[in-house]
Amino acid sequence: MSTAPPPARTRVWPYLLVAPTVVGAAYLLVYPLLRNLLISIQHFRMAELIHGGAPFVGLDNYTALLGDPEFWTVVRRTLAWTAVNTALITGLGTLIALMLVRLGRRMRLAVMSALVLTWATPVIAATTIFQWLFQSRFGVVNWTLDQLGLHQFHDYAWFAHDGSTFVILVTLIVWQSVPFAALTLYGGLTTIPGELYESARLDGAGPWQTFRLVTFPMLRPLFALVTSLEVIWTFKCFAQIWVVSQGGPNGATTTLPVYAFQIAQSLHKYDLGSAASMLTVLILIAALVTTLRRMYRQEGEETP
Amino acid sequence: MRTPARPRLLPIAAALALALTGAALAGCSSTSSGSSGQAADKPAKLTVWIMKDSLTDGYLQRFKADYEAGHPGTTLDIQIQEWDGIGQKVTSALASKDAPDVIEVGNTQVAQYAASGGVHDLSDKTAELNGKDWIPGLAEPGKIDGKQYGIPWYAANRVVIYNKDLFAQAGITAPPKTRDEWIADTQKLNSGGNDGIYLAGQTWYALAGFVWDEGGDLAVKGSDGKWKGALDTPQAQAGIGFYKQLQALGKGPKDADEAKPPQAEVFAQGHTAQLISTPGGANAIIKANPALKDKLGFFPIPGKSADKPGAVFTGGSDLVIPESSKHQAAAYEVVKALTGDKWQTEMAKEMSYVPNRTSLASALAGNDGAVAMAAGAVNGHATPNSPNWAAVEANNPIKQYMTQVLTGTDPATAGKTTSDAITKALNSTS
Amino acid sequence: MTATALRRLRRAPLNLAALAVLVTSAFPVYWMVITAFKPTTEIQSDTPTFLPLHPTLDHFATAVSAPGFGTYWRNSLYVTLGAVLLALAVALLAAFAVGRMRWHGRRAFILLVFIAQMAPWEALLIPMYVIARDTDMLDSLSMLTLVYFMTTLPFTIVTLRGFLAAVPAELEEAALVDGCTRPQAFRRITFPLLAPGLLSTSLFGFITAWNEFAFANTLIIKNQDARTLPVWLSSFANVFGTDWGATMAAASLFMLPVLIVFLFLQNKVTTGMTAGAVKG
Repeated sequence: MSTAPPPARTRVWPYLLVAPTVVGAAYLLVYPLLRNLLISIQHFRMAELIHGGAPFVGLDNYTALLGDPEFWTVVRRTLAWTAVNTALITGLGTLIALMLVRLGRRMRLAVMSALVLTWATPVIAATTIFQWLFQSRFGVVNWTLDQLGLHQFHDYAWFAHDGSTFVILVTLIVWQSVPFAALTLYGGLTTIPGELYESARLDGAGPWQTFRLVTFPMLRPLFALVTSLEVIWTFKCFAQIWVVSQGGPNGATTTLPVYAFQIAQSLHKYDLGSAASMLTVLILIAALVTTLRRMYRQEGEETP
Repeated sequence: MRTPARPRLLPIAAALALALTGAALAGCSSTSSGSSGQAADKPAKLTVWIMKDSLTDGYLQRFKADYEAGHPGTTLDIQIQEWDGIGQKVTSALASKDAPDVIEVGNTQVAQYAASGGVHDLSDKTAELNGKDWIPGLAEPGKIDGKQYGIPWYAANRVVIYNKDLFAQAGITAPPKTRDEWIADTQKLNSGGNDGIYLAGQTWYALAGFVWDEGGDLAVKGSDGKWKGALDTPQAQAGIGFYKQLQALGKGPKDADEAKPPQAEVFAQGHTAQLISTPGGANAIIKANPALKDKLGFFPIPGKSADKPGAVFTGGSDLVIPESSKHQAAAYEVVKALTGDKWQTEMAKEMSYVPNRTSLASALAGNDGAVAMAAGAVNGHATPNSPNWAAVEANNPIKQYMTQVLTGTDPATAGKTTSDAITKALNSTS
Repeated sequence: MTATALRRLRRAPLNLAALAVLVTSAFPVYWMVITAFKPTTEIQSDTPTFLPLHPTLDHFATAVSAPGFGTYWRNSLYVTLGAVLLALAVALLAAFAVGRMRWHGRRAFILLVFIAQMAPWEALLIPMYVIARDTDMLDSLSMLTLVYFMTTLPFTIVTLRGFLAAVPAELEEAALVDGCTRPQAFRRITFPLLAPGLLSTSLFGFITAWNEFAFANTLIIKNQDARTLPVWLSSFANVFGTDWGATMAAASLFMLPVLIVFLFLQNKVTTGMTAGAVKG
C-alpha cells in the first residue's frame, strides 16, 4: 500500500522533528559516552580528575580488568542476577496476567490496584521499606517467621549473610517489577479474540496447550519486549543494591554497575571504572543483539 | 528476507556522525559561554564542611557568631557532612571550580587529598600557626614532600562511656582495669532487660585495638615495600575472638556499624550500660536524653593486664583549603581561628578532644572524659601508613569480615579473604 | 444455588491466589503507612500490631520539620516536572516523525532509541560530572533537569509512538484533504486523541526523575539548598537514626506525589503500555 512519493518539502520535516532528540542525545548521552571512552584509555585517577592532563595508556585499563579474576566473578554474578530476576519477573508476571483475566471484576480491580500501588512506590522508598521489613530486631518478617515456628529467625540478621542479602534484593526487584510485566501482559491478553480460545477448547486443548498454541504465539512480540526490558532493567539495576548492601556482604551482591561505581567512586580509579562501564554496555548489547536484530527487521517490514 | 549486512549499518553510522558533530558543537558553545565567577578577593560567604558529630551545634553556632562579628562582610555557611560516601564527595568538591573553602578531613584520609594536588599548600603559615608544637599524628598525614597541606585540628581516641546508675545497680564500684574484669562486669550488667554493652558488629577501630593488644596489626609492610593484609594471623583471630565475646553481651546489630543506628541514641534510651566512643560522644547522648547529663562516666578501654590500657586508634581531623576555593585568604583566617588558642581550648572543654598542640593540653584538666582518653592514648596506634589506606576504608572489607565472623563464619577463612582484599587495595597504584 | 456454590468452590483456588498476590503486593506499602502512624512504643514492640490502634501524626511532624525537607521536596518537584515536560515535547516530535513519516535513517533512529534505553547512566557519572564542571553547570538544578530529561526521553519516544499508532492516520489524512496543513491536522485531530497517552507516558518519566539518586548526589556538591529528596532520603538512618516511624513517614510523603499522579492516570497507563509494546 505504497503512496506516491511525498513532495520534497516534507522530506525535511522528519529530520527537523527528530533534531531536538538527536541534539539532546548527542550532548547528554553520546558526548558523555565518548568522554567515558576517552577516560577508559587514559590514566585517570584522583589527581587527573582535579588537574587534568591525563596521559593515554592505550588498552591498559581493559587488560587490567580482563586479567582480574574478580571481574569475571562479577560478570558471572551479574548474568546470574539478571537471569534469576528476569525469569521470576516474567514467570510471575505471566501467571498473574493469566489469573487477572479469569478473575471476577471486583477481585480483578482490587488486585490491579494493589499492583499499581506497588508499581508507584519509588525505588528509594521501596528500599527503605524492605530494610524495615527485614530489620533484625523489630522487623515484621522475623517476627512472622518466629511465630510460624522457625525460631532460628528470631533476631536474624538478614543483611549479614551473602545468601540472604541476595535473596532480599531479588525479592525487592521482583516485587517492584512484576506489576509492570503483569499489567502489560494482561493488557495484551485482553486483545486476544475469545473465538481463538473457544476453538482451542473445542479441539480439546488443555490449559497448558492453550497457552502454548494460542496465547504465547499471539503475544510473542509482547513477551519479547517485556523480557528484553526486564533484562535491561535488572542488569543495570544499581540504586537498590547500593542503598541496601553497597555490593556486600563480601561482594556477594556486587553486580557490574555496582562494581564500576565502586572502583570509580570509592577507590577513585575512574579509568578502570570507565573501562568497566564500557564493557557493561558491550555485554548488554551482546546479550540483546538478537532482540535488536529482530526489531530492526520488523521495522523494515512494516510501513509506518 | 534480506540478510542484515553492511548497507544496514550505514544509517547508524550516519546518525552517529550527526550525533558527533552535534556533540562537538554543543561542547564548544557551552564551554565558551561559561566564564562566570566572583572576584576572588571580595570577602563573602565562606562554605565550611564539618563532619557529622565532630562538634556540637552549640559550639558551631558560637563560633559562627563570633567569627562573623570579628570579620564584617564575611558570612559562614557551615555544612555538616555525613561520613558515608565522604571520599567521593570531597574529591568531587576538590575537582570542582568552586569548592567549599574549608574542609574537615579525617587523619587517615588527608594524605590522599594532599597527594592529589587539589589542596592548597599552607607551608608558609606553619610558623604563624605554631606548627612546631603540633601533634605528630595529625601533622604528619597532612604533609607531603615537606609541604604542609593539612592543618592539624583535633585528636581523639576511644574510651568506654558508661551509665553510672546501671553500674551502681549491678554493684560495680570501680571501672574494670583488665579484659577479664571487663567481661565479668559486662556479664553482670547484661541482665534485667539492660544491655551490658552496645557494640555494633562493624566498629572496626575497636577491633583494631583488640588486634593490636594481641601484637597483631591490620596490615604489615614487608621488606620489599609491599603491604600485606594481616587479619589471617593468629593475633587477629584472638582479637576478633575477644570482640565476639564482648559484642554478645548486648544487642548491638551484627551487620551494621555504630552509625546505623547512631549508637549514642541507643545509649540515650537508658538501657545500655556501656559504649565505645570518643568522650565527645557524651554530647550526643545528652542531646538525645538530657536526663543522663550527670550519669555518664568514662574509663580507658581495658588492656590484657592492669599495667597497660587497651590499644586504641588515634583518630582526629585536619583542616584543608581546596585549591579551587575562591576565597583562600579568607578561608585561611577561618582555619587560623579554628586552630587557634581560643577555639581549641573551648573545643577541648566541650568535646574532650585533644587540642592540636601539646602546649594546650592543660585545657583538658578536670575533664573526666579527657582523663580517661589521655590514659588510653598512652597506647595509641595508627592505621597502616599508606595513602591507599583511604581506599581500604572507602569500601571497608574489615566491616564485612567482622559481620561474617560474628555470624558464625570461620575466622581463618574470612580472615584470609579479607587480608587478600586489603593486600590488593594497599598495593595498587594510584 | 448448588450450581453457584459449586462454581464458587471451583473458583476458590483462583481467588485464593489472587488474594495472595494482593496481600504480597500491598503489604509492604501498607506496613510503611501503618508504621508511620504508630506511636514509637508500638513500633519498637516485640509483638507488632497490624492495625493503627493509637494513630498519631507525630512522625509526620518530625519528618516535615526536619531541616530542609520542604526545600528538597520542592526541588524534586521542579526538576521532575521540568524534565518530564521537556521530554514529552521533544519525544512527541520524534514519535511523530517515526510513526507517521517515511525517511531515510528512520530504522536506525528507532534502533538507537532502543539502545539508548540501555545506557548505563550510573557509569556516566564521572564524564557527566566533568562536563557539568567544565560548563559551569555543577550545583545547578537545570543540569539535573537536563540529565533526567535525557534518561526518560528514549522510553517516552517508544511509548508515545505506540499511542500514536493507535490513532488512525486516516483521520489526519482526511484533515489534510480538507485543506489543513500538516501541523494543523496534527494539532486539531491527532493531538486531542493523543492527550491521554501523553499524560500516562509522563508518568514513567515522573517516576524515574522523582526517584533519581546517583546524579543528584554527584552533581550537587556545594549548594546544599539544591539537593533533591532522594539524596536526603537515602541517608534516612543519618537523618532520623533509630526513628523508624519518622523514616516511614518521610517515605510516605516521598511516595505521595507519585501516588497522586498514578491515581489520576492509572487506567490509561496499562492500555498505553500495551499499545506501545505491541507496536514497538
